[in-house]
Amino acid sequence: MAALAVVLPLAAQHGRYLNESRNPAIGKPEAIAAGAKLFSGSCGGCHGPDGGGGARGPNLVQRALWHPLADEAIFQAIRKGIPGTDMPPTALEDEQTWNLVAFIHNLTGPASEQKVPGDAAAGKQVYASAGCGGCHAIRGEGGRLAPDLSNIGGSRPLASIRESILEPSKDLFYLGNEGVSVTLKDGRKLEGVAKNRSNYSLQLIDRKGDLHLLRMNDVKEMTVRANSMMPGDYGKRLTKEQLRDLLAYLAGQTIR
Amino acid sequence: MRNCFLIFACTAGLTAQVKYDAIVQGPRADWLTYAGNYQGWRYSPLTQITAQNARMLTPQWVYHVPDARGLRSSPLVYDGVLYITNTNSIYAVDARTGRQIWQWADPRAKRQGVNRGSAILGNRVYLTTADNYLVALDRRSGGVVFSKKFADEGKGTTSTSAPLIVKDKVIVGSAGGDSGMRGFIAALSAEDGRELWRTYTVPAKGEPGAESWGDLIEWGGGAAWLSGTYDPELNSLFWTTGNPWPDFAGATRKGDNLYTCSLLSLDLDTGKMKWHFQFTPHDTHDWDAQSWPVLLDTEINGRPRKVVLHANRNGFFYALDRVTGEFLRATKLIDNVTWAKGIDDKGRPMEIPGQDPTPEGNWVCPSVKGATNWMGQSYSPLTGLLYVITLEQCGRYNMSSQTPKPMSNFSGGGATEEGGQVIVRALDPKTGKRVWEYPMTGAGRMWTGTVSTAGGVLFTGDDDGHFVALDAKSGKNLWHFNMGELSTASPITYSVDGKQYVAIASATAVFAFGLFEPAEPVTTPAITVVK
Repeated sequence: MAALAVVLPLAAQHGRYLNESRNPAIGKPEAIAAGAKLFSGSCGGCHGPDGGGGARGPNLVQRALWHPLADEAIFQAIRKGIPGTDMPPTALEDEQTWNLVAFIHNLTGPASEQKVPGDAAAGKQVYASAGCGGCHAIRGEGGRLAPDLSNIGGSRPLASIRESILEPSKDLFYLGNEGVSVTLKDGRKLEGVAKNRSNYSLQLIDRKGDLHLLRMNDVKEMTVRANSMMPGDYGKRLTKEQLRDLLAYLAGQTIR
Repeated sequence: MRNCFLIFACTAGLTAQVKYDAIVQGPRADWLTYAGNYQGWRYSPLTQITAQNARMLTPQWVYHVPDARGLRSSPLVYDGVLYITNTNSIYAVDARTGRQIWQWADPRAKRQGVNRGSAILGNRVYLTTADNYLVALDRRSGGVVFSKKFADEGKGTTSTSAPLIVKDKVIVGSAGGDSGMRGFIAALSAEDGRELWRTYTVPAKGEPGAESWGDLIEWGGGAAWLSGTYDPELNSLFWTTGNPWPDFAGATRKGDNLYTCSLLSLDLDTGKMKWHFQFTPHDTHDWDAQSWPVLLDTEINGRPRKVVLHANRNGFFYALDRVTGEFLRATKLIDNVTWAKGIDDKGRPMEIPGQDPTPEGNWVCPSVKGATNWMGQSYSPLTGLLYVITLEQCGRYNMSSQTPKPMSNFSGGGATEEGGQVIVRALDPKTGKRVWEYPMTGAGRMWTGTVSTAGGVLFTGDDDGHFVALDAKSGKNLWHFNMGELSTASPITYSVDGKQYVAIASATAVFAFGLFEPAEPVTTPAITVVK
């Protein structure tokens, strides 16, 4: 059941992704893997192990959402550093630098624009058999409790989709994902996701997908789940192949 | 899985949803289409807020629309949820509290631009993106049902208007006429977005009407960038068209330039043009006809008529027979009109020579912004008056001698907007005469529309960023509120749980107002957090 993470509007009023370079490293799994190794050794200390940002370095994934840079610009930033900041120049070979760029590119681009391994048709079966459609919808088919997945591949990086499946509670802090159940003063009980809530009102979508707009003065008791309503054990339930295929299917969900 | 889906299907069947008949009936508690009803009245039968108690209005909530600047969107409300659009995005907000329920945005859209609002039918809410996708979303979750492209932004077309839903069709228009494009109105299927018909507003070479153009006909403009109105009895759509291109340089397009600056009556089922009426033949002042074609049955010269009223940017206020398109009458909408002596008995302007733009600039009234514009007018059956935002302003029109190049931000010249005053005018549809006026201070920069109610109140924004309530009968000011920024959108009114609200988008936020009630202290219930 439930929430495969809130759909972050990936990228950019500026509307440009890091996909302009024709350098062969971009999108090449070996280059990305090599880049990942370099990243964890030299960059992760400041930018966080997954590029999510640290005390000294900005979040590379989030930053790219609003201020996307061309691959060449990232290459230059790695090479020359960024004057006036803690970002130092490096003495990496061209190839190594491009491997790093490939890794960062992969980290931030929408899954639908990447080469994703796996069998999307088999992934569709996995999606059905795992019961994803009970809570999630794709193009109007499925539940409304959990985030819509019609554009999940077009809006999120693959790594982020993977994380949402394997660790759904990580994204819980975003609006619209909290599992709640309430008992109203008139005795009615409702259960679902709080699309929004405050001390004064609650906007709840129930398991049937109907909205309930409530005043907190009408609520007698409320239970909030600290974890996502989405089961946290898909890492165990799915085989490696199933997860790969499911990701391939979801990566292909794009409205453009 | 199978059972699960069966349950969903059953639930969906039981849940309330927006029916075409409800849109035909016009606003009640909800506000289901851009102009409130198909006739373009922006009139609500709600009576909680009256001319007597409007001074008790207070803000109820404010919703800041993410990343908004200069919002043009008029909200819709259904079942306690308010929908407001911005560029390539839409937000569902609790209409009682202003709290966001969901948001949807398409950051990969290839263009940015203004968006005037959404449409609703069944359980879906519809909007268009600036790069011409019709997007249908589930109204409860914001989930995408479909997203389908209907025009090529590579040919200069963009989309700004709220779609109009009639029966099973979503009617969309086209924008971009100031840079060269070919305007159209299209009907798309509400089910899946497929195209059902498309009617171009500028003929193709060789078609009837093409003789009213020159070589640039393929880029002639005639954009249809505002929604239209609909007469269920005649099954006719009424849609206005924009200026010919290049806007200010008419020498390259000798002739009337059909069907620009016109009102078109189209058959809903086929898109076939039943009639057209051109307000400004061979326009050279960028006087798009985008202003609401308001439908009503009234007496003209003592004879009952089905009319369409149209306050035009060119300075005149028209009444046409909406069955035949016959010209019935035109009166001056504003005082300062210098380009034409009047409108002749066929409906054609009696132009004063020498009013075209020139290389050194030519001073003409009204200004390029026009005597009125797309801001929502309203008609109140209670007072029998049509309320129009008018602008007394002149400007200098320049013509460029450059060779026109489409899709390069070239409009054949330019125009200034100098000084001027915004005045709300209440007009008598029977005679075209002014009944009252409400002059405003300001710099002539507002684009706010109106809404009128059965409580006898007319709401609008003024030219200084105030939201204003006027007595619909007399134009007397009843109440005002400083929103802190100019509004460029039209207000609506709705009711939730028996409380009437009036909502309007300012440049960056939606404000909702209602009658004052003492605050009710809120006791937070016991909240248990479970792992």
